[in-house]
Amino acid sequence: MTMTLITNPDLCTGCNRCAYACSARHENMFAPALARLSINNYPLQGYSVPSVCFQCKRPDCLTACPEQAITRGLDGIVTIDADICTGCGKCIPACSWGMVSKHPTTGKAFKCDLCGGDPACVAECHFNALTFAEWEGDTAKNKAKQMKFRNEYGSPELKRDAFGKSIMNEAGR
Amino acid sequence: MYLYAGKILRVDLSAGTITDEPLNRDWLRQFWGGWGLAAKYFTELANPAVDALDASTPMIFMTGALAGTLAPLSGRFCMVSRSPQTGTIFESNVGGSIGPELKHAGYDGMIITGRAAGPVFISINDADVSIEDAGYLWGKPIFETEKALKAASGCPAAKSMAIGPAGENLIPFACVGSEAYRQFGRGGVGALFGSKNLKGVVIRGTGGIRVADMEKFLSVARTASAENLMTEANLWAKTDGTPLIVNVTNEMGLHPTRNFTYGVNEDFGAIGTESVKKATISQRACISCPLGCGKFTSVDGVAVEGPEYETLCLGGSNCGMNDLGSIIKFNRTCDDWGVDTITTGATIAMAMDMKEMGLHDFGLEFGGKAEYLSVVEEIATLSTDRGRDLALGTRGLGEKYNAGHLAVNSKGLEFPAYDPRGNHGMGLAYATSERGACHLRAFPLFSETPFDHEALVAEVVSGQNFNGIKWSMCICDFWGSVNSTILADLLSAALGETVTSEELDLAGERIWNLARLFNLKAGFTAKDDTLPDKILKTALKKGPNDGSTMTSADLADMKQRYYTSREWDSNGVPTQAKRAALSL
Repeated sequence: MTMTLITNPDLCTGCNRCAYACSARHENMFAPALARLSINNYPLQGYSVPSVCFQCKRPDCLTACPEQAITRGLDGIVTIDADICTGCGKCIPACSWGMVSKHPTTGKAFKCDLCGGDPACVAECHFNALTFAEWEGDTAKNKAKQMKFRNEYGSPELKRDAFGKSIMNEAGR
Repeated sequence: MYLYAGKILRVDLSAGTITDEPLNRDWLRQFWGGWGLAAKYFTELANPAVDALDASTPMIFMTGALAGTLAPLSGRFCMVSRSPQTGTIFESNVGGSIGPELKHAGYDGMIITGRAAGPVFISINDADVSIEDAGYLWGKPIFETEKALKAASGCPAAKSMAIGPAGENLIPFACVGSEAYRQFGRGGVGALFGSKNLKGVVIRGTGGIRVADMEKFLSVARTASAENLMTEANLWAKTDGTPLIVNVTNEMGLHPTRNFTYGVNEDFGAIGTESVKKATISQRACISCPLGCGKFTSVDGVAVEGPEYETLCLGGSNCGMNDLGSIIKFNRTCDDWGVDTITTGATIAMAMDMKEMGLHDFGLEFGGKAEYLSVVEEIATLSTDRGRDLALGTRGLGEKYNAGHLAVNSKGLEFPAYDPRGNHGMGLAYATSERGACHLRAFPLFSETPFDHEALVAEVVSGQNFNGIKWSMCICDFWGSVNSTILADLLSAALGETVTSEELDLAGERIWNLARLFNLKAGFTAKDDTLPDKILKTALKKGPNDGSTMTSADLADMKQRYYTSREWDSNGVPTQAKRAALSL
């Protein structure tokens, strides 16, 4: 059984409590810019799109890593071993959704690890825009639909924004 | 430093200089942040003899102590300066997400003084701060301006605030829009921007905010959220949002209708909470808010986040307007062109009343849609005679046309949507507010004894004092059940030192008195703590409060009890003993 993070942008209010909870868990401070997920906010259109790591079955970040610092576990979680990571940064452009970044203080790559199976972000979402569910049936379809919006160029932030705008357009907003 | 960024950004637009300075730590335990700390900075820096729109008048922006954390509803952003509309010291605050963004950029607050030689915007990208040319944006409405500011910053996640044509034209009730539909709405903050040739500010902050004990802080925040916030007292904001108040105030019979003539709108169902729900297409929240009171609506292809209660009433019922689609258009136009919906709605309603009374015909009549919608842009751009007249607000319009008896404001600020003739406590709250008629200073609306002066005075005083600290923490109004113990617990866990509810309560009272002292220095007296003739000399009509009054004698009685309760003398001046007790 593989549990995964599922997002429903139609329910996202843009409150960012997920990003605050994530940075509190991983950085011991409130720094949404360092969260492992981010919310693309389009207030004029009244819409927000969460960008989360899809924990790809064949992760491009993993393939790009020359040090084998990135692995995908039996639980489906794609993790970066900070002790092996040299900070070369090759995994960052490899992700089409902008979900791997370079940490400003350690210089190493970082990404969502689903908090090892108990995601802090989901616990803080009061609108059911983020859920932690089995990767099958409808959740798999939902995820596959979102994953088709890939972006090969630009910084992670620009990729996330492009992804968010595509999802928003598809929602007719 | 825990919770605080520890720095204040200073921008002098006349000199074109940008500096930062350490946050004044000596003031923190007395004023905390937000309203209190901004008022402290303002009163130290501002000359009470100088006009609001003078270049030297400082604008002080301040985040709350808890901004940028998981403390719920803590992300509002406060500005203190002097209002071009009232002349008083004026605090205004905005939701959305721009306040915490400033803190993440490394600044607790920002002090803006001077006047740029030409239109500019301020760009903040963490420590990289610059003053940029905004000539190409001058004249543009807010939505387009914000889009351009974000493009200029290069960061899609940047947050912005900007004025529209109304602010550029120094209209005394021009607002500042932020993140599309959130505003520094009242008191003419937009005109202050305009007077400084400041079109907007764009901010990207990527830094973190630390607390002394993260686990403890999260535990306190989560317990407060589960046990106090997400409870029946507040969940109306999640399920209905402020449109619910349309139904509530109509049932209570103090819903301003047709320029404060009636206490009920017999057709309120057309613009009440059920109608807004039908038009709602998504729910929106400010940063770190689990309630999400924002209802994003769309009618006939025109969308807006809102309309909120004040807009539904002042731009709806009070204008005899019961068409939700028209109110949504009105709301969106006000937000885009940059005027406060409360004052704009109230002023249009007064103009409609003037026609009804045969005083002057502006082509505006109760319930008439087309002119009601087109006049907003005329006001913001000063492009027609009637636009220029209505841009004066109710006080100016009353003076020009000898129609003061139809102007519903206090200290020049138009009433929010609760008629004091149905609750005398609201009248006292409006009359004694440091910024004119305001429902965010004390809100005794739900008192079981709405005409019992003694009980209401106590409620107004305690409400004003508590809001002193609540706005200093920049906590949203809609956490109605929050108390100083919860705030003290959050601060204690975050700062790693003991903060007591008693010291926060005292700080609230200190802040209220500090604002009062500034207004006294600026020439305001007890005479200015008043209500307009329309309220004091005519009775409310229709509904449960048909025939209810609030006379000059009622107001005088309440004021004297209020001054006594505050330990102010009979002229409304804080006594030496009170000042000493508050270290003022």
